[in-house]
Amino acid sequence: MPPFLQFLIRRIFAMFVSLVVITMLLYAGVMLTPPEARARLYLPPGKGGERATEQYIQNIIDKNHLNDPYLVQYGYWAKSLLTGEWGYSPTLRADVLPALLHRTPATLELSIFSLLLLIPLGLANGLAAGWRPNGWFDGLFRGAAFFGTSMPPFIFSMVLISIFYVQLGWFAPFRMDITTDLLMTKIGFVDYTGFLTIDSLLNHRPDILLVALRHLAMPVLTLSMFHWATLGRVTRATVIGQRNKEYIIAARARGVNEKTLLWKHALRAILAPSLTSMALSAASLVTGIFVVEIIFGLTGVSQVIVISMQSSPDAPAALGFAVYSVLMVVGLMFILDVVQALLDPRVRDEVFKA
Amino acid sequence: MRPLRVFLSRWQNWLGLLIVFAFTVVSLAAPLLSQPNDTTWGAFKMVGRSTDFTPHPPSDVAPLGTLPRQIDVYHALVWGGRDAMIFGLSVALGALLFGSLFGAIAGYAGGAVNGVMMRVADAFLTFPALAGVVFLQQLVAVTIESLGGVSFNSYYHGPVADFQFTPPPFAVFLMKVDPILISLILFSWMPIARIVNTMVITLKQTDFIQAARAMGGGPLWVIRRHLLPNAIGPALVLASRDVGSSVILQATITFIGLGGASPWGILLSLGRNWVIGPGGNLLSAWWVFLPMTLAIIFFGVGWNLIGDGLAEALDPTATIFRRTQPHVND
Repeated sequence: MPPFLQFLIRRIFAMFVSLVVITMLLYAGVMLTPPEARARLYLPPGKGGERATEQYIQNIIDKNHLNDPYLVQYGYWAKSLLTGEWGYSPTLRADVLPALLHRTPATLELSIFSLLLLIPLGLANGLAAGWRPNGWFDGLFRGAAFFGTSMPPFIFSMVLISIFYVQLGWFAPFRMDITTDLLMTKIGFVDYTGFLTIDSLLNHRPDILLVALRHLAMPVLTLSMFHWATLGRVTRATVIGQRNKEYIIAARARGVNEKTLLWKHALRAILAPSLTSMALSAASLVTGIFVVEIIFGLTGVSQVIVISMQSSPDAPAALGFAVYSVLMVVGLMFILDVVQALLDPRVRDEVFKA
Repeated sequence: MRPLRVFLSRWQNWLGLLIVFAFTVVSLAAPLLSQPNDTTWGAFKMVGRSTDFTPHPPSDVAPLGTLPRQIDVYHALVWGGRDAMIFGLSVALGALLFGSLFGAIAGYAGGAVNGVMMRVADAFLTFPALAGVVFLQQLVAVTIESLGGVSFNSYYHGPVADFQFTPPPFAVFLMKVDPILISLILFSWMPIARIVNTMVITLKQTDFIQAARAMGGGPLWVIRRHLLPNAIGPALVLASRDVGSSVILQATITFIGLGGASPWGILLSLGRNWVIGPGGNLLSAWWVFLPMTLAIIFFGVGWNLIGDGLAEALDPTATIFRRTQPHVND
């Protein structure tokens, strides 16, 4: 078996174990509530809140085995998760899973653009700064990174809105403005993927692409800043540890010029630790995505919790959202791991030789 | 002591200490700095008519101006600082206690139990805190509702027909718990557990201790020289950063309206419509956002500086880079 396949299988297995553990923990949280409260996870449309009679709740408890031991209940719940029955949310007036899936492209669009901006920038800046500690670029970088990690995203977003939206009018909040929205309805804009940027190209409308990017700019900036700074700092610290290692000195003695040394030899050495630290903070990245979405009014996945928190208690939406966001984090960790393995020469060479 | 000397040799750490000291003084002296009156609830004080929706500039009654509904910014800033300090320290201490207990128990048990417990800790790393915050709040709300209470504006009442609703003891307990505090502790203990776990396992590997002893060191020396720098240091670093980051996260959650009672976050969300004052001027109503913004930023910066300083001072392998240091191989 080629090593890359082995690696993939190992990662997928680890991902599966993580998911089982976290869903068991989630359901253990649900188990802390009385069975009558748990029955609310299974209420069908139109039976929300106090309108459900005691007998009705009792029927739900019996039907869904809510008085059984924990592991049996977990089994039934996991089965309903796998079959796509995530419950009905009274506040959204929709089933939870379709509601989440419907809002996913907006979230993915924001995260992909941010990751494509922050990972290369964070790596490059951290490398350049750590290569010459205390140089002029290092000072600049450390100042900017300190600003980036200290500035709370919601305050930074208010600053961005007041400068770039209110004063200059370059960028705009929300996902789309009303005029473009009307135009899209008028010309029969087709949703191929749900990504506004890709769809506008597929519809041959570069003007709509520009509008979409104008709306994406501030969320992407806000989201990238904090994680760019964190990634850059980790990279810088790693480079400082690596730059006097024997292999660098040997390469320098061979006459490899400084640029190749930095962007080829050192870059390879710092990729693994930097991306690992990124994967470990994937959960905080996803929290950041939700926060930015809510602040800028992008109607992404987090809209589900915003709506569910506004009125009556809505356990199905909160539980479904928790499971879904864990799936997002685990997926992100998996992608970062695979990218790291693909870029790691030790793994990659074996794959291409095979 | 070397770590202390290193810590005190950097001006950044002094700045961090100064900021945290200032916040501590303000939070301890809050009753002296700003007296509550009969319109005070929580950290908020009203200094005028509640129907007046225009924020007023600083005056004698309100040294830092007022927000819509005439809420005194200065009073809420001072008392909010106290709340923030208590909240941040509770999260950090909770995470420190729970994390070290969890890591230590797993390490003592060893073997398969250790593996399973550390897998659980890893699983917590895949959980975004925001989803946990919402999940916990909804669980509490659903439980109270199923026990007969009705939630309205995040306060729980009896059903309308029966206003003498006496909640069951469990519901009373749930109403008193701060879900944000619990969930932030739940999502910040893992790194601490991991470090303590490693320490305990190292302690069990007596070879390491014996080797250190063979060098002529007593047990106290081994603990001080090898275990403390490796375990307590990183745990303290993480805890001190947690103080700042948890307060910022709490303010963020409050600001975006997903619960929580951070006074600074509430102040910012009350004044958010006035950030751009009349005429599109950013600074025409500066008092509705600037004091709270600066307070939140400085709170985070202070604890981060201390965390960074501790990380450097306690790292046994760190060397302090100086401009004059030659590029030598160590």
